[in-house]
Amino acid sequence: MIKIENLNHAYHNGESVLKDINIEIKKGERIALIGPSGSGKTTLINCITRLIEPSSGRILIDNKDILKTNKHELKDIRKKIAIIFQGFNLIERESVLKNVLNGRLGYVSTLRSCFNKFKEDDYKIAEESLRNVGLLHKENERISDLSGGQKQRVAIARALSQDPQIILADEPVSNLDPKLIREVLSLLQKVCKEKEITLITSLHFVELIKEHFPRMVGMVDGKIVFDDKLSDENSNNFSDYYQEQLIKKRLKELGYIN
Amino acid sequence: MTSKIIKKISGSKYKSFFIGVLIIIIYYWAVRGTNASPNNFINGIPFMFDFISRMFPPDISNLGTFLLKAVETLQMAIVGSTLGALVAFPLSFLAARNINHNKFIYHTVRTIFDMCRGINEIVWGLIFVSMVGLGPFPGVLALAAHVTGALGRYFSEAIETVNPETVKAVISTGANKIQVIVRGILPEVKPPFINYSLYYLENNFRAATVLGLVGAGGIGMELLTSMKLFRNQEVLTILIIMVLMVVLIDRFSAYIRKKVLKLESIK
Repeated sequence: MIKIENLNHAYHNGESVLKDINIEIKKGERIALIGPSGSGKTTLINCITRLIEPSSGRILIDNKDILKTNKHELKDIRKKIAIIFQGFNLIERESVLKNVLNGRLGYVSTLRSCFNKFKEDDYKIAEESLRNVGLLHKENERISDLSGGQKQRVAIARALSQDPQIILADEPVSNLDPKLIREVLSLLQKVCKEKEITLITSLHFVELIKEHFPRMVGMVDGKIVFDDKLSDENSNNFSDYYQEQLIKKRLKELGYIN
Repeated sequence: MTSKIIKKISGSKYKSFFIGVLIIIIYYWAVRGTNASPNNFINGIPFMFDFISRMFPPDISNLGTFLLKAVETLQMAIVGSTLGALVAFPLSFLAARNINHNKFIYHTVRTIFDMCRGINEIVWGLIFVSMVGLGPFPGVLALAAHVTGALGRYFSEAIETVNPETVKAVISTGANKIQVIVRGILPEVKPPFINYSLYYLENNFRAATVLGLVGAGGIGMELLTSMKLFRNQEVLTILIIMVLMVVLIDRFSAYIRKKVLKLESIK
């Protein structure tokens, strides 16, 4: 359902962030992206909805190259792909419900959404999404009054109210307390399993991936270096490899190696 | 040659001495240029008392007219500020780099704002009086013109400070541009917009009192007339009304701002 072919991306200064990415993800599959910061995970996720315009390559969603779509088609594709961000990216001054309703923006007319007059169905979907993340009782509270874990659950509810086929989660738990991490990840797994949503998550911890994800894709320096199921044996190998890459990267930053 | 001297001076131990001398020279030059003299000031004190004593007691025989004119000034401020804010609001999105990517329109709108703001209300008053004649209407236009420039700039700067990440999240739901602005940006800029608008309402009342001096209506026009006719006791009455009104408006505006922001914070 998602097929990425020869995807390359470089910054304006010529620095290459994605190098010849090839990957196929089936419908309903749940994969974790892992890699040191700067390895291109976020860029890859943003390219899938064209929030970043890649330099070259093809991204096929249901056999349609999204890099060749016009503005209108792109919006139609975007509304079916929900993104969950590391920093939650909610409107802090608005209520929980209003934020979740923003997930319906691709479905309602401009006029309705501007005057906050959503249809009955949109409210139902938003409330159902909030119930799914266990926050229906908080629907009238302001985002700024919520805790970090609750905010990320609202963000998940917003994603769900898009009725998505794909959820892209960019380090969804790295701003959360350790004990909330498992809670949020389990929730994400649960809803994606129930609704057969394809889930692509970038994460930092091998342990968490082993617990929650059937497939892992490792990225280093803009390249895919690992793509497999994580078993006990190869997880140790990968852990070591990953650690090594992290150290190498740090040394590079400090200028000890090239 | 000069740079050599400057280098020599700045390196020497007399550096602070030279800077001190330079500062004194600048002040001497500025004071001379403005004919400021403490002697004149002190010698003039009796004249001031004479002038003030001739203002007493305030003449309230025309109080009714003056109060009506003060109300007119308030009306000018209300209409002028609202008009200015209404024009500035849509334009400010065109002058925000994160919304409008068309450089030509961006710079054009910015320049319009700068021009509107750069020209003082009084000067705008003169322009509009010659355009639509005497009275409060040119005053309203003058206030609106200046406020458009001022609020337009503040609004667009507020829009530019909105976190691009939250905007990205709204875009990623498949929202169109108008939806992104209304659902993603407006809620974030609402408090600064309200704050600036109320501040300018307050500001405009003060500006409107002076606008009458160029014939643009309000209590300032009465002040001008009374001054020209040497009716000093009336002048005092008008000045008292003006000060009282400004104080009242300031208090009222501060109260409203507090209420609005409080409402915002518990909503």
